Formats: sequence, structure tokens, C-alpha cells
Amino acid sequence: MAANVKVLKRRELTWWENTFLPSIYAGLVITSRHFFGNLAIHISHVFGLRKKERGSTTYQYPEEKRPLAHRYRTRHRLMKRDSGETRCVACMLCETICPAHCIAIVAKEHPDPDIEKMPASFDIDLGKCVYCGFCVEVCPEDAIRMDTGRLDIAAYSRGGMILNFDHLMNPELPVLDPAKPVAR
Amino acid sequence: MPKLTIDGKEVEVPKGTRLIEAARKLGIEVAHYCYHPGLPIAGNCRMCLVEIEKNPKLQISCHIEAADGMVVKTQSALAKQGRQNTLEFLLLNHPVDCPVCDQAGECKLQDYYMEHGLHDPKFDDNKVRKSKKAFPIGPNVMLDTERCILCSRCVRFTDEITKTHEFGIFNRGDHSEVGLVPGKSLDNPYSANVVDICPVGALTDRDFRFKCRVWYLGKTPSVCTGCSRGCNIEIDYDRLRPHKKAGHDRIMRFKPRENSEVNKWWICDAGRYSYKLIDHGRLVAAKQSGIDASLDAALGEVAGLLAKAREQGRSGRIGVLASPDMTNEELFLVRQLFREELSAALAFEMAEPAGHKDDFLITADKHPNRAGAREILGTGLAKGEELLARAARGDLVALLVFHWDIAALAGADRLAAAARGAPLYVFATHENRTTYAARFALPVANFAEQSGTFTNCQGRVQRIAKAVEPLGESRPAWKILCEFSDALRLGWTHESAESVFAELSASVHAFAGMSWQTLGHAGATWKQGQPQEAAAAR
Amino acid sequence: MEPMILDMLLKAGLGLIILGMVLNIAGLLTWVERKQSALMQDRIGANRAAIFGFTALGLLHGIADAVKMFTKEDCMPKGAHRFIFNLAPAISVAFAMAAFAAIPFGNTLTLFSRTINLQVAELDAALLFVLAAMSIAVYGVILAGFSSNSNYAVLGGMRAASQMLSYEMSMGLSILGLVLLNDTMNLQEMVRAQGGTWLGFIPRWGVFTQPLAFLVFTTAVLAETKRAPFDLPEGESEIIGYFVEYSGMKFGMFLLTDFIETVLAACLVSVFFFGGWQIPGLHATGFHFPWGTTIPLPPLAVSLLGVAAMMTKVVFFNWLFMALRWTLPRFRYDQLMHLGWKILLPASIANVLVTAAWVAWRG
Ligand code: SF4
Ligand code: SF4
Ligand code: SF4
Ligand code: SF4
Ligand code: FES
Repeated sequence: MAANVKVLKRRELTWWENTFLPSIYAGLVITSRHFFGNLAIHISHVFGLRKKERGSTTYQYPEEKRPLAHRYRTRHRLMKRDSGETRCVACMLCETICPAHCIAIVAKEHPDPDIEKMPASFDIDLGKCVYCGFCVEVCPEDAIRMDTGRLDIAAYSRGGMILNFDHLMNPELPVLDPAKPVAR
Repeated sequence: MPKLTIDGKEVEVPKGTRLIEAARKLGIEVAHYCYHPGLPIAGNCRMCLVEIEKNPKLQISCHIEAADGMVVKTQSALAKQGRQNTLEFLLLNHPVDCPVCDQAGECKLQDYYMEHGLHDPKFDDNKVRKSKKAFPIGPNVMLDTERCILCSRCVRFTDEITKTHEFGIFNRGDHSEVGLVPGKSLDNPYSANVVDICPVGALTDRDFRFKCRVWYLGKTPSVCTGCSRGCNIEIDYDRLRPHKKAGHDRIMRFKPRENSEVNKWWICDAGRYSYKLIDHGRLVAAKQSGIDASLDAALGEVAGLLAKAREQGRSGRIGVLASPDMTNEELFLVRQLFREELSAALAFEMAEPAGHKDDFLITADKHPNRAGAREILGTGLAKGEELLARAARGDLVALLVFHWDIAALAGADRLAAAARGAPLYVFATHENRTTYAARFALPVANFAEQSGTFTNCQGRVQRIAKAVEPLGESRPAWKILCEFSDALRLGWTHESAESVFAELSASVHAFAGMSWQTLGHAGATWKQGQPQEAAAAR
Repeated sequence: MEPMILDMLLKAGLGLIILGMVLNIAGLLTWVERKQSALMQDRIGANRAAIFGFTALGLLHGIADAVKMFTKEDCMPKGAHRFIFNLAPAISVAFAMAAFAAIPFGNTLTLFSRTINLQVAELDAALLFVLAAMSIAVYGVILAGFSSNSNYAVLGGMRAASQMLSYEMSMGLSILGLVLLNDTMNLQEMVRAQGGTWLGFIPRWGVFTQPLAFLVFTTAVLAETKRAPFDLPEGESEIIGYFVEYSGMKFGMFLLTDFIETVLAACLVSVFFFGGWQIPGLHATGFHFPWGTTIPLPPLAVSLLGVAAMMTKVVFFNWLFMALRWTLPRFRYDQLMHLGWKILLPASIANVLVTAAWVAWRG
């Protein structure tokens, strides 16, 4: 079968284009438009004008948080039943699907035989997590979600990147090992 | 011999063969729940429906006998629909709590639903609840009656195989429920087999409960070492969670492996739970009088000692206590090294209390390879106690002990006396009082960590395979023996247990003609008439 | 005797002032670079360095940089040539700064009945001096590349060598037209020659007499600064270039050289083609507008206005070079060579020939 080949002829540059002057000019026009436009906005801001326009697309991160799309995947949390217990039944499907092998669950007996099973420990190593969200999608109990809106994941050690069951159940707790610098 | 056609293929089967078996002969698997080749036919689950030409209704293939000229269709639209409807009914009151069910992953309901399921179920969520969710019904087994599909396999097992009659099915209609006969507990020595035959998660293993999901398991065919029966097993180890390995057992469970010549489909509970020994109490580093030592130093010392004894012509005064726990290959290397090369004082048996036995699988001899040892090393050897006595007299230059816990069998005093008389080198898998008393204790791999063969009490040679890496510094005993041979410059070139076996089958008559390949995973029996030893062992 | 010593002191002072000014502009350029590129790209730019919470629009980052560079560990790769390795950044920065000696920053300034020429070195061959100084500065780059004992640095050095070779030729030739026209190599004279207007409103600037030379020279001098789009010797995305093994302030000196050269390029373009300190319509006595109006000014004011004009032009060209640097992507190597040898060089030769012919015809 003959492949469908379309030969594209490369257009030779004209002599004038070959000096690059027209392209340089066009480029300068674009960048200068941004430069002076933004400069004007910044100066107006100093005088309290044009407050609605942004002179840049930058978010000044720690002070100014970027608004997250509601489907944005952030730090994990475990959902609770009405009784306040975890919904997780330690089925280990998330552990199984996790492409980064960063979930580690140990199961134990739940006192209520109708629930039967629950995690004895549930660790997620955020240092390895790739935020694919597979764990959320695979969970048959809607027990894990990635909607805490927390992105501020930093620690002084690899071990500090591991979320345990308490962190997962209480996403509002301060993150991880409370800033214990590694002794040098 | 009736000749029939199944799915367009002709097959001839002995008279009385059921259709499901005839189909299996053609490699066609008909879905089934209540049928089990090791149990009487009940025909109550209706899952195995097939279409038979000139027969207006679908028939259950587990019960209908093959007849001449029959034309059977297992894949016709009608047959498929029949199975689909059956499955729908079976699931009508099933809780489908797969996330918490240990059977998930090896559950026939799941498997067949993938094949035959409606995938758009018609049932609603108003299930008939049973009295109790999961509860233990014996030392090893949990029962969840809601998950039961009333196939009655468990009932038939306790009725026909163990004859202990613990199970029964009570009440009628959608209140039918499997349960124990009042006043009984499921505690017969083969009780956990009901877990294997239960096609769903109604009967689950208490020991395995919540430990691991079955899809994490790697499976290696092996042989149980609990007694000389050599039941075929499968070693299930945690394969998919290396990130969790630290501090966890590697072996998760043993499962019986079908072998019609040895254990059929069953194993005893003692053998099933003997997996715990693999990871616990192990000797993982060389010990010098109970304190961690360098393995290389220990190996070097033994090798040097052997070389020196040979040089001085005193190698006959080396005592070697081999063991019926060793594989045929290791025993063969013991024979080559210590008898042929060094003419050392050899023994492999010790006096032991008689073990428990029954008339089904369990034998009194608790060593997996006594028959092999007798065949390879011969029966006329001294007993271990004589070696101990010689050592205590100072008649030996060294005593090498494989596997035996002398302190437990002969007593700590005789062990101490022997250790005073001659340096004691113990090659052991586990730490015990003998390894503490030894001059050097050297860690060796156990049967789950190496390949080889055992000969069971029927003279059947069966292969074991490596499921996990040797723990710590331990290594297979055959490798250690090869290292000694290097020190003595014997020119051995064994790369694997397989090559040792090839030499063994060439030089020991009972093994003649056998090879790693012909043994396969089912093993092969010694030629009839040859091995008197095997007969004696029985 | 005495006036001469005074003259020397005055020149030394002037030199110091100019040096300080150049270094400050170069330092400021780091800030300009950050902020200008940020504005062009809809960003904010560095704004976090602060003293007592005052960020001064990010100006403090330059100071932070300097502090960082001076306190950083100074390492040298194994097998590097210690002497040359240390010498290279010094050569670069020293000769780049030396070139400023010949730049006229204004006309004469009369203070206390003393006339000071606002050019540090009144050289008759100032043009040659500037070109020579710039050429030697390139040696720093090449030496750095060769003494680092690193393949990447050598690659960077080689690229620098061939690039400089290709573009210096056109640069020199493009200026030749101006020399022919103005009959001088003294930059101060050249600027003076650009005074006055045609038809009363077109200034007699080099850009109008030698437009082609302007384009060629600007391109070539940009290539001399080794900044985008001519940053092949650095090639930050691939080889890092001749300074890959440098750290701390030695690296900082190379960085500084880049900025100093940018300032130098801006000065040269102003002097050669935009009348240096000349302001159209400003004569020694004040403004003379084409329609006859005059605004008389004292000579001191005229001189200072001239200096201011020069500064304005330099700032403008710095801005333009920054804008170019953040607008254009890096050339491919073959494009670079194509531009240098097949376009700039023939164009500058043609320019010289035509100018020479015209000068000969004019007599
Ligand atoms: S988001 Fe992906 S990588 Fe992270 S824990 Fe979930 S499954 Fe694993
Ligand atoms: S998939 Fe859901 S229920 Fe299962 S272990 Fe993970 S979080 Fe728990
Ligand atoms: S028996 Fe099978 S289908 Fe039923 S809950 Fe267990 S795994 Fe799921
Ligand atoms: S418990 Fe299992 S084996 Fe027994 S009847 Fe129910 S499904 Fe069958
Ligand atoms: S398998 Fe045939 S009826 Fe159950």
C-alpha cells in the first residue's frame, strides 16, 4: 500500500526576509506592546487607577494563592462515615492501582461485622506520588479524595513526606513533620 | 468407549465420563460451582448448563454422562444465556462485598461474571440478609453465610473425605443457609481445605484473613516438608509489594496443588500453616558460639579443616551427620564429598519419638526425604548417636551436623559432651540450642529458597522450586558443599541443583532415566522393584 | 608644569566618574534585564529581596547578587591552568572598561575658566583603540574556555572565537565609511562633525549618512556582546559555555563584562550614528529653531545638556538591546555564519566602496 505522501515545498526566504529585519521589527513590536502596556498598568496602579487590570499573570504565591479548578488534584484525604470513622475498608485497590507504589495499607478487623475491615495503618508517600488520581478513581467506597486544596507539601526529610492515617483523616492538621531540620 | 462431539470437536472418553470432564479433555472449561472432581456430584448450582442437540432443555454437564454420538454445544447462545441467568440468580442475594472479601481475585463469582455476566443487573438492592456476617467456625475457618451460594461442596467434603460431618444446609428457599451441625466445631485436621474448595468467599482462612490481597501473590510450585507424604503445594508469596517487605513475612500462605498420585486436592492443616517457619526464628548470619561471626571465616575454617584432614590421612575421623531434610541433590553431594572423596564417618538418622499419623495423608515420619536419603546414602550407616559418642570420646577431628537439632533429640548434655570432644559445625536454617552450642553455626537456605527434589514415602521424586531469596547470609547447602569441593580442588562444576540432579540420576540406580524435565511439577515414581529402601520406608 | 598636573588630575577624576557611572549602569542593567523581560512577558520579575521590608522595586536584587557572588565558594576544576583561569575574567572586564576611555560623553566643559574635554583619552586614533580593546576582551573569553579543562568550556571558547572573528571584520569595515566621510578617527571630532542639520530639521547624524553602516554595525556590536540572539558561546540551554567552570565573583566578572559591553555598544552606536552628545538645534549659544526662534543658554548649560543627551541615547540603546535580547531567539550556528559572512561582510564592503567613491567624486 502506497503511503499517502504529501511533499511540502519549503519556501525559500526572499532576500529582504533573509536580512531578518522585517521579522525583528515585527517581534519588537509585539514585545514592546507588552512592555509598554504592562508598564502603563503598573504605573496606573501606583496612582490607584485601573485596579481591575492585572499587569502580569503572576501569582505572588505564598501570599496570593492561585484559584484551583474544582477538579484539581491536591493532597489526599480519607473520607469519614457519619460516625466519624473512616470510610476506607482497606480493600487495597488504591494500593494496587497506584503506579508510583506509594500507598501502603495494613488491614485489620473492624469491630462492626457489617463493615468487617478497616485500615490498621494507611500511609501515602507524597515524595513518590505522581498525583495521577488513580487511587481516587478506583476506590469502591469513595473513601479517598484529592480535594484538600493543599499544595504546600514540603518536608526536611524523605520520611517527612509520608502521610499517615491521622494526616489523611484530618487534612487541616499542619503538614507532615513539623519543620524538623535534619541535623548537619 | 463413547465418541461424542463437543463444540465441533470429536472426543472419545471412557464410559461413565461426565460431559464436563469430556470437555476438559478438549481444553474446554465449562463454568461450574458445585462440581468438584474430588467430590460426589450434587448438580445443584446449575451453572454448568450446556446445550445438547435433540434435547429441548439445557442440561448440566457435570451430571450427564457422555454417550455415543452426542453433539454438545457449550458456547451456543442458548447455553450462554442459561449460564447468565443462573449467575443472575446466584447473585440475587449475594452481598457483593468484594472490597472486604478475601476471596476477591480468586473468586469464581467474579471470574464467571466477567465471562457470562449480564453487566446490567436486573436485581435490586433488597437482599435477604442472613443472621450473622462473618464469624469463625473453627480454629482455621471463617464463615460468611451471606456470600454462600449453597453449592454444598463443603458439606460433601466433610461427609465424604474427612467423614466428620460438621457441615449442613439448613432451612429452605431463600432462607437456606450453610452452617455447622449444632454442637460441632470445624476442627478436623483437614479443615482448611473447605476454604480452597469453596468457590466463593463464604469460607475463608482465618490465618490469611486481611493479610494480603491475592493479586499480590506470586505462586511457586513446591512440596510440603511437614511429613514424608510430600503433598504438592503452591507457595504464595508477596510479590507485588516489595515496598512493604521490610518487617513483613514474605510467604503469605501454602495452597494444595493437585496431584492425583499423592495428595489429590488436599493437604492437612499442619502442613498448610507450616509456612510460618520459613520466615521466623531463622539463622540469618554465621554464629560463633552463639555470637555473630563472619560467614567467610566459618566456611574457610571448615574447608581448611577438611583439606588438612585429607592431607594427614585422617579424613576418616571427620564425622558428618546429614539429614533427611536435605534434598536428594544435597545428599548426593554429601555422598560424593564425604564418602567417595574423604571416606568420612557418615550418618543421617537419629532416634526420634514416633510422630502422629492417620490413614489419609499424614505420615509418622516428619522428614520429607528419608526415602531419598536411604537410597542415596544407603541403610547400613551408623546412627547419629554413635557419631556423638565418638565425638565425645575425642575420636573425631570434627563433627559436621546438617539441620538436626541435637539438643532437642539427644539432650543438651550429650551435645555438650560431643562439642567438648570435637569442634562442632552446624548447618542450620533456624536458630536453636544446637546452633548456640556449635563452634560455628552456618546459615543455610530452606526449601522455599532453593530448588531441588525430595523423595516421598511412596518413592516419588518431586521437585521444589525457589520462591524467595535466601534470607540474610544463608545459602543453599548444595552451594556450600560445592564451595568445600573447590577448596579440596575436586573440580566440580555444578551451576544449579538441576546439574547435580543430572549426575545423581546417572549414578544412583533408583533415579535412572529421570531428569528435571521428565519430573515436571508432578514428579515421577521410582521404577517398581528397584528400591527396597522405599518399600521399607513405607 | 602646574597646569599639566592639574589636567592630569582632572582627567583622572573624569575617568573615575565615568568608570563609576559605567559600572553603575551595568549593575542597574541586571535589574533592567529582569524587570524589562518580566514586563515583556507579562510577569513581575524579581521583587523579593528586601531590607526592612522595603523591596525598592526589586533593585536590591543586584546587591543581593553581588553579596552572593562574593561569598560563594570559588572553585577551580581539576587540571585547569591556574594562572590563565584566574586571569581570563580579569582580562575580559578590564579591557571592556578600558574602551570607555575613548568615548566622548560631552563637548568641552568650561569650569573656572578651564576647558575640560569630556573624553578621558583624547586619542587621535580613538576608534582603533576602542576596536582593539573590544578585541582583547574577547581573549578573556577564549582563554577561559581553554584553561578550564572542560569540554563544554572549550566548545564555548571556540564558538566565541569564530563568532568574534566573523563579526569584527564587518564591524571594522562598517565604521570605515564614517571615517572616510568625517576624515577623522577621533571620536570627539566625529561627534562634532555630526552637529548641525540639513534643511534645518534633519540632524547630520551618521545614521542618515550611513544607514547601511548603522545596521551592520549594530548587528556586529550586538554579536560582540555575546548576548541573545548571539549567545552561542554561552548556549545556556546546551553547553553553558566558556564560563561553565567558573563560580563566585569570577563568574560574576564575566556577567559584568556582558553588561559593560552592552553599555559600550550603546555608547558606540550613539557616538557613531546618533551624534553622541549633539542635540539637534542646540548650538554653542543655545537653541536655534528652524523657524528662527532662539533660546540663548549659558555655555555650562549647553555642556550639561549635551551630557544629558548622550546619557539619554545610551539609555535608549540599552533598552533597545534588552528588547532585542528578549525578543529574538538564538541563531542557529549556520545562520550566524551566513549572516556574518554572506550578508554583513558584503554589505559593509559595498558600503565602504560606495562611500569612497562618493567622497572621491565630491573631491
Ligand atoms: S495519586 Fe496516583 S501516585 Fe498518588 S497515591 Fe494516588 S494512585 Fe498513587
Ligand atoms: S480503594 Fe478506597 S476503600 Fe480501598 S483501601 Fe483505598 S481508600 Fe480504602
Ligand atoms: S464471594 Fe466473590 S463475589 Fe462475593 S464478595 Fe467475595 S469476592 Fe465478591
Ligand atoms: S460455604 Fe462455600 S462450599 Fe459451602 S455451600 Fe457455601 S459456597 Fe459452597
Ligand atoms: S456444576 Fe453442574 S450443577 Fe453445579
